[in-house]
Amino acid sequence: MALTTSKPRRLRLPRSWHGHPDSDTPWRTIMVFLTPALLVYLAFTAYPVARTFYNAVHIIKPRDADQFVGWAHFIELFSKDALFVKAVSNTLIWAGAAPFIDVGVGLILALALYSRVPFARFFRVAWFTPVLISYVVVGVVWMWIYNYDWGIVNAFLRALGLDDWTHAWIGDPDTALWAIIFTHTWKWAGFNMVVCLAALAALPREVLEAAELDNCNWFKRAWFVMIPMIKPTLVNLLILSLIGKMKVFDLVWIMTQGGPLWSTETVSTYVYKRAFNWSSFDLGYPSAIAVVWFVVVLACVLILKLVFRQRDKLEY
Amino acid sequence: MAIVQLKQLSKYYSGQSEPAVDAVSLTVDDGEFMVLLGPSGCGKSTTLRMVAGLENISAGELLIDDVLMNKIPAKDRDIAMVFQSYALYPHMTVRDNMAFGLRRRGIKGAELERRVRATAETIGLTPYLDRKPHALSGGQRQRVALGRAIVRNPKVFLLDEPLSNLDAALRVSTRSELVKQQRNLGTTMIYVT
Amino acid sequence: MLITRQMISQTLLLLGLSLYTAYAAGPFVWTALMSVRTTSEISADPYAWPETWHWSKYLDAWYSSNYAAYFWNSTIVVVVSVILLSVIGALAAHCLARYRFRGNRLVYFVIFSTIIFPPQITIIALFQVLVEYGLFNSHIGLILVYVSIQLPLTVFLLEGFFARLPQDLFDAARMDGYSDLEIFWRITVPVGMPAIITTMILNTIHLWNEFLYAVVLITDDDKRTLPLGIQKFMGDRLEDTGMIATGMMIAVIPIIIIYAVFSEKLIQGMTAGAVK
Repeated sequence: MALTTSKPRRLRLPRSWHGHPDSDTPWRTIMVFLTPALLVYLAFTAYPVARTFYNAVHIIKPRDADQFVGWAHFIELFSKDALFVKAVSNTLIWAGAAPFIDVGVGLILALALYSRVPFARFFRVAWFTPVLISYVVVGVVWMWIYNYDWGIVNAFLRALGLDDWTHAWIGDPDTALWAIIFTHTWKWAGFNMVVCLAALAALPREVLEAAELDNCNWFKRAWFVMIPMIKPTLVNLLILSLIGKMKVFDLVWIMTQGGPLWSTETVSTYVYKRAFNWSSFDLGYPSAIAVVWFVVVLACVLILKLVFRQRDKLEY
Repeated sequence: MAIVQLKQLSKYYSGQSEPAVDAVSLTVDDGEFMVLLGPSGCGKSTTLRMVAGLENISAGELLIDDVLMNKIPAKDRDIAMVFQSYALYPHMTVRDNMAFGLRRRGIKGAELERRVRATAETIGLTPYLDRKPHALSGGQRQRVALGRAIVRNPKVFLLDEPLSNLDAALRVSTRSELVKQQRNLGTTMIYVT
Repeated sequence: MLITRQMISQTLLLLGLSLYTAYAAGPFVWTALMSVRTTSEISADPYAWPETWHWSKYLDAWYSSNYAAYFWNSTIVVVVSVILLSVIGALAAHCLARYRFRGNRLVYFVIFSTIIFPPQITIIALFQVLVEYGLFNSHIGLILVYVSIQLPLTVFLLEGFFARLPQDLFDAARMDGYSDLEIFWRITVPVGMPAIITTMILNTIHLWNEFLYAVVLITDDDKRTLPLGIQKFMGDRLEDTGMIATGMMIAVIPIIIIYAVFSEKLIQGMTAGAVK
């Protein structure tokens, strides 16, 4: 018997599989499995994306033929549209600040639960609840909370005798954006907490015990051992949170519709307004905004991925 | 009852210069108990999987009872296989695990129940017929895997290291059990270890 | 001495956690209490405990404020979408996890990468497409869009689970004589049921709460889903705080029930994507 030695191959597909398939790949079977998903993808994702790119260089009005305008929308966008600039700056303030607040709060909560407090399970389940409540409900409740006359924030301030601090929190252009950012953080902190907790639970016990033996106190252990060890998870959460803020629409639309005085206008609400609320009836211009923003979001994600990957390489 | 012939059977994987199996030729006679021995990773399992129809044959010929099997799909070769991991269906009872292959071949009702019971009797699984695999010990699972093959009464029986997950004592008793079974059934068996 | 210090810090910690719990759950509890109080009672004191529990407000909202219609619209759209998603997603995930073929990882990457797309990149064109095909302002159109937006996450989660099932199981079924589709139906689906249920719960909650696509693609009042219904009700009767709270509870209660039953599964499912 001539059995030549060679590494046995399991049929199980490795994660990074780049080899060539067997000559007789069962294409028919594969297509049976894949066709429904591909059809949905092509019809409701790929084609609309392509169509948006087409829109962006045309004026699209109902009952008129599409009129090609080249870069005109983009030029107008960057040279004349003060509202677009406002929307971008609001969104960037949000996307720049909120991820750190979200993940920071989530991390602190997770560390608190991880230090073996009683009722940890109850706390976890309770804190996660806001994640599951729809933006519409969250938005309405927080409109009440911020209400000038009877909202709990002002009621609380008055009870403390701080009447001067009372505010129409979402009615004042100076505070509206931060009030909404605060609400958004309220909704998402629980999600970040749960993910951090899962990452902490997956840490090897020995390392933590070693740190305990080295006479580190709790804060030192958290800062020098636990947080560095779950850094990949934290980075993922930051990116996830950032993407979320770049898309944010629902909460703003419910609470302020971008007002007062465009102080809470985000790119998403602006696109919506230009496409469906203003009676300009041109779908080309908002599509151009969408294309610009699509590129910005993709670039952000790629840059962040690259930056954090390189850092990691340098460290080890 | 069957004669299995391997003629220059080979397996190449693209992207690898060495063939995984290089021109194996051998004949397993009707009712013979053939054992393939060798260090791990020498291609025994791949050979067995080509006989089973789970891997395509890159070159050479496989004949069962003088019929060319290269292009016949696994389900039409009338071969049963016992896997190293047992591969019991975790969501089915022992009874359903054994009946799964028979049902596909159109056996149902009383005949199905009779064959499952008879097989379970010979390998001592009768008390466990309604249990699911996770509620069985390693030895019991191994016997279910064996029973699942026996109950089909196939032409050829393939065993891929079926004893490697058992402890030493159980291995010895199961091995002699296997030999006894094979004599009773008179089936052609290829055993890789 | 040591023990007392530990006890003090423990107590302080618990106090802090309880305060955070009040902050996290307070708004929800407050809404629940307002949902059984009348608007005039609320105006008198928004933070009082209900004197009489006006459960009849729920019937009121249900029958006289069109909430029944919103509720059933949401139910139909979500149930059909989730069933379609499970079937289409499981088929695709099984294929990507089980078969080696040229382009496997490409298909996976292309589907998965849409998770980061901002919705604006498709929503205007989806509006145009649905209008052209006569699906605008229809539940069928909304369902198809919902399937497409949740497909990436569904495929991602299911593929991850299916790929971890041992290959021997599938080889055994092939030796037992089953075809590829039968193997999917009789092995992958039952064995992968825990993962399928997880994706079903996640999709249900996400789509039940979905607002942006619904607000663009649905305009008729009798086709509105619950989030749109609440928004409309807000617009019509802004001052009727009590009834708005009742309406919101109707939208929230199904979610709370699902959460009560599946809390662990749900939390695991939602974290699966982020921990790596």
